[in-house]
Amino acid sequence: MENKYQPVIGLEIHVELKTKSKMFCQCSADYFGQKPNLHVCPVCLGLPGALPVPNEKAISWMQKIGAALDCELTKDSKFDRKHYNYPDLPKGYQISQYEEPFAINGKIKIKNKQFRIRRVHMEEDTAKLIHEDKGTLIDFNRSGVPLVEIVTEPDFNNAEDVKAFLEELQVIIRYLDVSDADMEKGSMRLEPNISAMKIGLGTLPPYKVEVKNINSFRFVKQAIEYEIKRQVELLEKGETPIQETRGWDDKKNKTFSQRTKEEAQDYRYFPEPDIPPFTFEKKYLYEIKKNLPELPQQKVDRYIKDFKIKEADAFVITRNIKTAAYFETVVLKNKNYQQVANLIINKKISTDLSPIEFAKKTDELLATKTTDMQALNKAIDNAIKNNFQVVNDYKKGKTNAIMFLVGQVMRELKGNAEAKVVIDSLKKIIG
Amino acid sequence: MSRTQALSKDEILHLAKLAKLNLTDKEIEKYQAQLGETIEYVKNLDELNTEKALPTNSVVDLKNITFSDGDKNERNLKIDKLFQVDRMM
Amino acid sequence: MLLGKSLLQLKKLVAEKKVSYKEINDFFLKRIQKYNSQLNAFLTVSKNQETGLPIAIKDNFCVKGLRTTASAKVLNDFIPNYESTVTTRLKKNGFNFLGKTNMDAWAHGSSTETSDYGPTKNPWDLSRSPGGSSGGTAAAVSAYLAPAGIGSETAGSVRQPAAWSGIVGLKPTFGRVSRYGVIAMGSSFDCPGPMTINVEDAAFLLKQIAGKDQFDATSSPQPVVDYQNLMKKTRKFTIGISEDYFTNLEKGLEKKIQESIEIFQKMGHTVKKVKLLSPKYSISVYTILQRAEVSSNLARYDGIRYGNDRTHFGAEAKRRIMLGTYVLSYGYYDAFYKKAQKVRTLIIENFKEVFKEVDVILTPTTPVAALKLGEFEKYPFFGEMMDVLNEPAAIAGIPAINIPVGLDDNSLPVGLSIMGNYFDEASILNLAYQFENETDFFGVIKKGISNYGK
Repeated sequence: MENKYQPVIGLEIHVELKTKSKMFCQCSADYFGQKPNLHVCPVCLGLPGALPVPNEKAISWMQKIGAALDCELTKDSKFDRKHYNYPDLPKGYQISQYEEPFAINGKIKIKNKQFRIRRVHMEEDTAKLIHEDKGTLIDFNRSGVPLVEIVTEPDFNNAEDVKAFLEELQVIIRYLDVSDADMEKGSMRLEPNISAMKIGLGTLPPYKVEVKNINSFRFVKQAIEYEIKRQVELLEKGETPIQETRGWDDKKNKTFSQRTKEEAQDYRYFPEPDIPPFTFEKKYLYEIKKNLPELPQQKVDRYIKDFKIKEADAFVITRNIKTAAYFETVVLKNKNYQQVANLIINKKISTDLSPIEFAKKTDELLATKTTDMQALNKAIDNAIKNNFQVVNDYKKGKTNAIMFLVGQVMRELKGNAEAKVVIDSLKKIIG
Repeated sequence: MSRTQALSKDEILHLAKLAKLNLTDKEIEKYQAQLGETIEYVKNLDELNTEKALPTNSVVDLKNITFSDGDKNERNLKIDKLFQVDRMM
Repeated sequence: MLLGKSLLQLKKLVAEKKVSYKEINDFFLKRIQKYNSQLNAFLTVSKNQETGLPIAIKDNFCVKGLRTTASAKVLNDFIPNYESTVTTRLKKNGFNFLGKTNMDAWAHGSSTETSDYGPTKNPWDLSRSPGGSSGGTAAAVSAYLAPAGIGSETAGSVRQPAAWSGIVGLKPTFGRVSRYGVIAMGSSFDCPGPMTINVEDAAFLLKQIAGKDQFDATSSPQPVVDYQNLMKKTRKFTIGISEDYFTNLEKGLEKKIQESIEIFQKMGHTVKKVKLLSPKYSISVYTILQRAEVSSNLARYDGIRYGNDRTHFGAEAKRRIMLGTYVLSYGYYDAFYKKAQKVRTLIIENFKEVFKEVDVILTPTTPVAALKLGEFEKYPFFGEMMDVLNEPAAIAGIPAINIPVGLDDNSLPVGLSIMGNYFDEASILNLAYQFENETDFFGVIKKGISNYGK
């Protein structure tokens, strides 16, 4: 049944920046876990007469993200007001970008697929609503925190790709160190727009369903697959799914309708008169692109080419920029690239160590120790002589006893022996 | 003399919904006429050729006005309580 | 005898130890107690009146700890715990706020009749409007309940009440004075401005409040010059007059305006004909853009964090919100809002061209003198029609000053506006000062104050 239809999915992702100040005022942007309404001022509370002034770093980080997603950074840009009514929106409008966002037309490549990014723009977060029986409570600590919105083209036709894309996006953003991009904490949010297209039809479906409240990577695949199934069932019956917003219920594992009657929202965008527009020199924009750190995919490609390690291993190592840095520091000295990769991936050495300590420890573990046989035999003789009882125990069948002897030998040799060689020699001598 | 064209009741209700205003029937009728009259007047702008004109999005000659992240917050108001709204839409 | 003394004169008296600030403030408080019930100029009178140069503040400026309503029931009990930049600067420079003055609610109007707390009366004729939206400030200064005041102009709201109440009113260049803490009406138009009994006080006050503000991104970094000094320089100006601004004027008013133009010529200034776009288009541009911004700026009043809910909006506010919502709404944005923005460009370019030929431009401030209370209800966009001659300057963002130039046939004040180039407040103050020295404004201001002598 589902083979007649192809999912058409576009993504809307919000990333919260970890700047010190909020987007349009000096209040602290660090709202998570704070007492309610501690970090507020007339601006983020939307008090009469308050005016917004944009955060310089937020904008430059936003451009960094755009550059990392291979976007064109726009030369001329401005903010717009987006109007709608909701208690978490203090001004009755959100300062966002409509016509001239800071970045457009990017892409992320995953394996041999390419997913296009339509635009990346800057806006402010809303307050947090806490629903209780007596009413709804509002905490404005989050109001005004800088938010970057990434909108993709509807290039996805399955949930796996969406998950892979999100994971890659998360790693890229963490590489830039501009956000924690944590779905559980809400610093990265996903709203997929999902429809199902009859294969062979050629035109995009005449509807799309937005799904909200997917707040963990675990649920991404589930939510999308549930929604596709729901839509296909309707389509098979000859019905067109209603264009609406639905919420993901992670306890019931289904999507549910959030609007009783979907009226297309009229946001009445117009240019924000309180904030002068932005113009960037070509040179400035070029520098942003040039100064990006090496991005995950670039690292993967380089590791494969220069270090000849397996792609899967390169992928794992590059998921965390610190891990990748360790790897790169270690392999400066140690040319057993694949072995180093294995050690890191199998967590044989803690990456909490400084790169230099890490490198030392790696050397130790990988060192092909040339064992001095004369010294070894002497040490073995001493060990046997001084531990008669243990030797007997071993002969009687207590196989583990030999490890005690290995320890003694190693102690005498001050560790300068390969464990395997010691064990084999002991076994040979004892019999 | 330009004929004043009143707005329809639906249009007024739609605008009132967007603007979150509750209107009485009398008000709706009044605004149908008044808004219609105002809109008819402002259509005189169609007499002007604006083909080559760019919209003035900003009246000031300023560009790239920002503040430095981490600047001291001189306007902090510690409200220390949660705001409440009784009925959620 | 303090009656009729300008701000600077009062300041001098205190410096010379001839009178104390307390005595001065008591003097005005007594006058407010005596006359305010007739005029309804002040909505709130301050409790703290010990020290500082007294001044009236329009009720759309947020003053910490002082009730601020914008004359709207929605903000009936609103007491800000923060302060506007203008009043912060005034406080720092030693001013004292006598109280908050009445205005059209949310500054929506040109007669102070849309105030939710009753209209202010014109001190010259209590059956008439003092103009608006800064009508309370204008009446207070005209009847000398305050030696000066701060108003705000979106399009005419300082100059028109100054004209109808017979005082000096200055609208600075947009961005010259910070809007932070001023309850927003038209974000791309709002200009705080001084309202005074002479030109020098206006120059003095402008210096106190002008200048870049980190909290207002549209405030200009242009240096604030010594307006008082520049005002006194000997200068001859080329004055522009545009025909379209002189049509449909009340006869008595027109006579006074023409006489003033002749006086300027006699003083040695050159009067030249210029071609400005007809003001009738400015009405449309202003109505569309201002109401769009109003509908947006009033969206925050939901009664949750402060104030009363939206059922408390008055008729005028609702009307403007509705029209503003319409011109921004889907399907109409291009035809109305975007079109108006394009015409705004034409108006700006037009002024820039004309200012290459002339230094300043003269226009009557209003086509008629003060109207009777109640007139405004006949028009769906009364405010905008009344301010037809003021809107072009507001749309372009250029500065302009109103000066009284006599009385019309009904013995009502007539006002003339001098418009200047961007950030050229010095020129318009200079020419206004020259006229004041030449004519003493035909005694209009002194007469207005003497009507409330003792």
